[in-house]
Amino acid sequence: MTRDRSPLRYVPWLALDIVKVQLALFATVAVGLPLVILRLQKSMGTAPEAAVVQSGTFTAVLTIAVLMAIGGAIGGDLKGGYYRAWFSKPISPWWYYLQRWLLGGIAVLLAPLMLGGVLALVLHRGSGITGDLMLTVALGYLLVGSACLLFSNFTARDWLVVFLLSFMQQRLAQVVEASGNFGVTLPTWLVWLEKTLPPFHLINAMKPALHGNELLHVLGYGVAMLAAALVIVQVRPLGSGGRA
Amino acid sequence: MIRFESASKRYVSLVRRRRVDALQDFSLEMHRGEVVGIAGPNGAGKSTLISLMMGFLQPTSGQITIDGRSPRAYVEREGVGYLTELVNLPPQWKVPATLQRMAVLSGVPRATRQAAVDATIARLGLGEHAAKSVKQLSKGNLQRLGLGQALIGDFEIVVLDEPTHGLDPLWTQRFRDVVAELRRPDRVVVIASHNLDELELLADRVAILNNGRLQRVVEHTAASTGAATMAWRVSFEGTPDVASALPGALEVVGRPGTWRVIASRAELSSGLAILLGRGAILVECAPEESRLETEFRAAVAQ
Repeated sequence: MTRDRSPLRYVPWLALDIVKVQLALFATVAVGLPLVILRLQKSMGTAPEAAVVQSGTFTAVLTIAVLMAIGGAIGGDLKGGYYRAWFSKPISPWWYYLQRWLLGGIAVLLAPLMLGGVLALVLHRGSGITGDLMLTVALGYLLVGSACLLFSNFTARDWLVVFLLSFMQQRLAQVVEASGNFGVTLPTWLVWLEKTLPPFHLINAMKPALHGNELLHVLGYGVAMLAAALVIVQVRPLGSGGRA
Repeated sequence: MIRFESASKRYVSLVRRRRVDALQDFSLEMHRGEVVGIAGPNGAGKSTLISLMMGFLQPTSGQITIDGRSPRAYVEREGVGYLTELVNLPPQWKVPATLQRMAVLSGVPRATRQAAVDATIARLGLGEHAAKSVKQLSKGNLQRLGLGQALIGDFEIVVLDEPTHGLDPLWTQRFRDVVAELRRPDRVVVIASHNLDELELLADRVAILNNGRLQRVVEHTAASTGAATMAWRVSFEGTPDVASALPGALEVVGRPGTWRVIASRAELSSGLAILLGRGAILVECAPEESRLETEFRAAVAQ
């Protein structure tokens, strides 16, 4: 048999999975949220600008949306034993999960576009879609999504690990910043820990898009974690022996 | 084609540092055109052996190559038809979509993909279950779907781990026909099974594992020769003088007219010819225990 060796041959099926679960959920929120705002507008008499709705929404739910888009990707396949069907076929694990990660990113990037479209239709006060917002969402996916894929090599509850890690790092960043403002000296290890952890606190849809060193910091961390996740899934033992 | 050279696999638990030697110093070559059986009791190392062959695990020592490449490199380039003992597929997938997806991953060309899916559904009798999702399938039907996803890629290596697990007798027989159809000069088929009858019927050679070690390899050709002495069960109508024609005969207690005969195939044949010549009517003649069973029991007892 002459095989179809196209590296993108399975993309339509992976995309279909994401459309049926994650994108459908994002679309539901994108339609539902403006309708809730419309009801509030009728009772309160004013409606917020679409840009405010967008930045408020993505400040609140960006991390969760990313975790929903990519959570459990590797860990779920290993735990469910699906890897044995996938990777007995002619495809590399790193390539399979890179495609999966990229499609998750597209789903997350479509979320503000869908929300913006519905906001423009329902509230007639613009879409709120800006370059800054899209860059923040993309960087958020790069950082949180890569961390999730990396931890997915070790647990199917990668989403929980990354959620807790993100929460802890953001609180730690606040503590370090406050200590500087009040002239309090923190233990060295705590400052070192804050500098070492992924800079989740820099992802903020309320603020202008990152640039300069902060942008490089997030890009560097995100790309490094993504590369590490893909290298590990390629070289790690997929099986655990026995029938597990 | 598949070569194990002193391959060993040791598992070490992270916490207690407990060591388990799942496979020890295993050497074997599997060639194109043959069907190789892997037999052994529970925990003998069969599943570890298969995981090593698939590249899902790395050996602790020794080497495994497939066509000169590491198993992982081979599988990622060529693919292997692999049926696991416990078939794991996403529960929400429908039967035809599962086969479509697996055909795409296997690299079945777009032009022939639908035909391959249809043929697999027909071959494995999954047509009446086409509207069902994976979670709605019975154990036997899930096993058939697992076999379908393994075979749809038409690979040169087919690995079947406990393939008749959960199949009813009808489909167990049908499975044997399917495996017989898989035999091809450019293909190696590996079957790991507890079912010695199945391996006796299907495999050219059977590697017997126990406690992670290869105990012996039983060649089917040797089992087929008439020289090996075996136990047979022979029944006649009435009670003819079996002892004179078959000196190795011992009457089986509890079943009048039935004898247990220890003889080679040649001795048995000549003895039966004498008895039939005297007008005795044969009811049954069957090996009490196959050569493979005898070898297996001896290997496991070691």
